[in-house]
Amino acid sequence: MILDAFVCLCAERGYAETTMAAVAERAGVGPADLRRHFADTEECGVAAENASLSAVMVAVARSYDPDRSEVDSLIAGIAAILEWAAENPAYAYFGFIAVRQMTPAGVRAVYETGRRTLGAMLERGRDYSHVPVRPTGIGCAVLGAAEAPIRRELASGRAERLPLLLPDCVYIATVPFLGQDEALRLMARARARIDRSVAVPASAVAADLRHTTPPPA
Amino acid sequence: MNQGRGTMDEGRRTAMLEAIVDELVAEGYEGISMSRALAAAGVSETEFMAEFTGKDNCLFAAYDELTGAIIAKAASECDASHSWPERMRSGLQTLLGELASHPEVAQAVTRSFPGVRPQAYERYVALLSRFEPFVAEGREYSGLGEELPSEVELLAVGAAEAMIFGEVDAGRAGELPGMLPEILFVLLVPFIGPDRAAEEMKTAAAIG
Repeated sequence: MILDAFVCLCAERGYAETTMAAVAERAGVGPADLRRHFADTEECGVAAENASLSAVMVAVARSYDPDRSEVDSLIAGIAAILEWAAENPAYAYFGFIAVRQMTPAGVRAVYETGRRTLGAMLERGRDYSHVPVRPTGIGCAVLGAAEAPIRRELASGRAERLPLLLPDCVYIATVPFLGQDEALRLMARARARIDRSVAVPASAVAADLRHTTPPPA
Repeated sequence: MNQGRGTMDEGRRTAMLEAIVDELVAEGYEGISMSRALAAAGVSETEFMAEFTGKDNCLFAAYDELTGAIIAKAASECDASHSWPERMRSGLQTLLGELASHPEVAQAVTRSFPGVRPQAYERYVALLSRFEPFVAEGREYSGLGEELPSEVELLAVGAAEAMIFGEVDAGRAGELPGMLPEILFVLLVPFIGPDRAAEEMKTAAAIG
């Protein structure tokens, strides 16, 4: 409840303008009750980011199945992250946007740990790659590439559209390691997964710009 | 947010915009001293209020003009007679050089300003989108056109941004020019694949 209020306020007004008093009021708790849990907004931020990373890691872990190919698990893992973000827009705004560019070093340190972990997971693509020459740190660059349209949708209040980014995210996660032909094939597989899971195929979704405001806690 | 009322001459307006950016980088948004910025710019409060509606109006205008100048400079180095990868290399080289030469500007563009509040962050999102037309020709160059992902332009810009942001945030903006080959690779790979991107990376490394 407290963290829900905190991340919603950060999405609405930014981290710098989110005060403990505002968090207490939004959460419906007294200031003293709030401070029993968190001393300041930085502690709130660390807790919120840890909660988000835990949720993402659980979603990714559940996507890996020994009876499924590694690439199919990768597609499922990316889909799980996008679906989590769409279902938790305020936490997603905090985790993808606010932490990176609005919060103090203590909160960013949690983000950096998560970023390096996800980047390292993507770097596993090297094991399947025929390409001998690639820059170091390509995993984090790939992560950044996928995050760019995610951040755009979150900043525009369109979190519900995030699952539709699956094909693009699968493409960028695989093209540096597996090449374009294979990445395009996997992108098509991801697109088919979306078409199966929604009532209206992704290709037919209108590009409306309906604004979605994160709900208050 | 409007860009100012056009009452201030260009030189003084530029000085005012630079002064507020300097304040932002040095003191953070809450620490911006308008009296200090006005003194540094040699602008009176009366002149300021005739041009801007307040601190935020001035700051947002400064960001828009600052980032516009950076983009214009990078674009000016792209010779239309060169191939698309060559133009990407030239533009990127100019961009990295600008950021390395002015690390405080790099910091303001990537963190200090976007971090102020969500409305400021939307300007950062818009800034990244302004780079998309420069890379869009990659679709035709790739020979794959619309087969490529619908977001391929933003994916490419996002990959480069991630590497640039990481160095600026770590206080290593000065090292960006040396990273041109690697950043060029991630910028090109969504369009032309890893083999061709690796060739361009090697060429960029050889040119130095």
